Amino acid sequence: MTSSSPSPTPILILDRVSKRFAGHTAVDDLSLSVPRGVIYGLLGPNGAGKTTTIRMIMDILRPDGGAVRLFGEPSGGRDHSERIGYLPEERGLYRKMRVFDVLVFLGEMKGMERRRARQRAGEWLERLGLAQWRTRRIDELSKGMQQKVQFISTILHEPALVVLDEAFAGLDPVNAQVMKDTVLELRARGATILFSTHIMEQAEKLCEHICIIARGRKLVDGPLGDIKRTRGGHHLVVGFDGSVGAAAQVFADASLVRKVDDYGQYAEVELATGADPQRVLRDLVASGARLARFELREPSLLKIFIDLVGPEAAQAGVRPDA
Amino acid sequence: MRKIWAIVRREFVERVRTRWFWIGALLGPVLFGVVFFLSGQLGRGGGLKRIAIVDGTTTQVGARIAEQLARSGGRANRVPAAAGVIDSLTAEVWAKRLDGFLMVTDAALDSGKVEYRGSNVFAGKEALQRPVGEALTVVRLQRAGVDPMLVARAIIPLRLETCKISRGATCGESAAQSFSLAYFMGIILYTAILLYGINVMSSVLEEKTTRIVEVLVSSLRPFQLLLGKVLGVGAVSIFQFLIWGVAGRLLLARRVSVAPGDVGAADELFQVPHVTGATFAVFMAYFLGGFFLYSAMFAAVGAMSSTEQEARQAQQPVAWMLVLSFISMFAMLNDPGSTLAVTLSLIPFSSPVAMPVRWAAGNLPASELALSLAILVVAIVGVTWVAARIYRVGILMTGKRPNLKELWRWIRTA
Repeated sequence: MTSSSPSPTPILILDRVSKRFAGHTAVDDLSLSVPRGVIYGLLGPNGAGKTTTIRMIMDILRPDGGAVRLFGEPSGGRDHSERIGYLPEERGLYRKMRVFDVLVFLGEMKGMERRRARQRAGEWLERLGLAQWRTRRIDELSKGMQQKVQFISTILHEPALVVLDEAFAGLDPVNAQVMKDTVLELRARGATILFSTHIMEQAEKLCEHICIIARGRKLVDGPLGDIKRTRGGHHLVVGFDGSVGAAAQVFADASLVRKVDDYGQYAEVELATGADPQRVLRDLVASGARLARFELREPSLLKIFIDLVGPEAAQAGVRPDA
Repeated sequence: MRKIWAIVRREFVERVRTRWFWIGALLGPVLFGVVFFLSGQLGRGGGLKRIAIVDGTTTQVGARIAEQLARSGGRANRVPAAAGVIDSLTAEVWAKRLDGFLMVTDAALDSGKVEYRGSNVFAGKEALQRPVGEALTVVRLQRAGVDPMLVARAIIPLRLETCKISRGATCGESAAQSFSLAYFMGIILYTAILLYGINVMSSVLEEKTTRIVEVLVSSLRPFQLLLGKVLGVGAVSIFQFLIWGVAGRLLLARRVSVAPGDVGAADELFQVPHVTGATFAVFMAYFLGGFFLYSAMFAAVGAMSSTEQEARQAQQPVAWMLVLSFISMFAMLNDPGSTLAVTLSLIPFSSPVAMPVRWAAGNLPASELALSLAILVVAIVGVTWVAARIYRVGILMTGKRPNLKELWRWIRTA
């Protein structure tokens, strides 16, 4: 992962933000900072407070405590709506409206001039292959096409900051690809992308910066590469070529190995503190195992995530509401 | 500001584009025409179409009555008085082949006593009193040797012209006109406020259930969104009125040309109302006031519901306030100065229907009108303030509808 050159003023800063609802605290004293021009992942299991955090950034909810700063100014998303594209987690469009009219209307909501909104809407429909659908009603479109329309509406006004809540949730594979490509393209043009997800594989591929939260609290944040380095260096991947020998005995040595995920022909090993990986290699060879692979590795984001939030919480679905 | 305008335009364009708008625009006047016509029929008291005259007279009295009845639109067959004829006619009435029958003898000329038996004696009395009385008078006068020309001129019927006095000046409006004006203003106000209030509600609900509202309120404040919505739907209603107004004019003009000078009971009750500038102003003021007041409440109902069914249930208390003021309209028309009428025209939830009705029906002190309007304005501000807070919280809530306690918390914390 590339770590981008840190920009003097972050595009978004949350300063000890909290939000309480009737029964519980959804976001608790959360601080984070999103540098300009990066893809930033807000990660956490369901119910961690991701959507609430994003809603506070977007000025949809008012924080009970703390402050949101956007573009260096002490104000929330509404004052900057012409510079922010927002795609909420639950998506919908006016079902009876025509595709083109919906896009123009939502563009106007983002402060675009009507003429420019019409022009850009036409271009985007063309680009995503929806040109012949422009005068059809939304409810005549397939779900996948509706997702495209929604996505166009998010970036029609060329925002400097794009906020995607559960960006890939519910997308069909084709649209997930379109979404990914567009995110990368926006990034290449200098936009900042903040997206939330509970799917770590996606975040790992896209994000340069991450923030992991659970139960409304921040667990870790920073450039993904740094996080992996500080939490890594103790991980081995071992692949066997047929014979495993007495490998299990080596893995059972508590002075060498803290934890192991043994799949038989493949194992992920976390070393004990201070243990030398070279000794594990020697012992494995001595045990009679035939090795196909021996690799010192940074932990996967999923692994970091599970270590931080605990396996049950990481399974998702702590609470149905996000 | 430009964003609010975009909201207004969307609400307007999308609504006017629907088939339902144009069906409403066309059916509205037809519906009013039907109500108009039915009320006319009721005003006629059923009418007498087929009656028989059991003629036991030796003079031309029976013939004269038949002639007079025919002139006022009925049909009367004369049958000679004979044994058993009463029984057979009674059977005819019972079989609904006849409305009733009149029994006339020579004695009627001196005693003035004529007997009518029929299925609806009330309607019979209404319809027969004048023509039969006139026929008798004519025959009496002719027998006394009076010139038939003179007789004809003597029995020209009375046509009582009524004229409403308002604000110390006669305005040339008849009782029938002010009654029909009040009646129509009541119906239109009630229908339009209810219809367009519910329009606001379903619009709020649509944005809530599709979650578009999240994108919208991240771009403009919830109150601005609500304002744009109410203004947009309001503009649709005014457009609808324009269409109705033009169509109504045409319809009424046609009706008048069809029945020139024929003064049936229905025409006496309903006449083309004379709409002055002041009346129009009062109507519009109360329509807009009522619409703002009720659409704020309907918007709050939409915001606190999650499904159509929930909203339909939750809107009932709001709709009932309007229905009640509509129902009491009929009592108010009878006595526009009664305590009930005065009270209803001051309470802001009923005044949008009650006050214009009273204005049209009778002599209304300007001070009362001013007071009623002032209360309405204060209520709009207050109700909108509360409704906007419910709206603000409600549009982001999913799950079950809040109870009163939760609603109170929304209002306090919003």
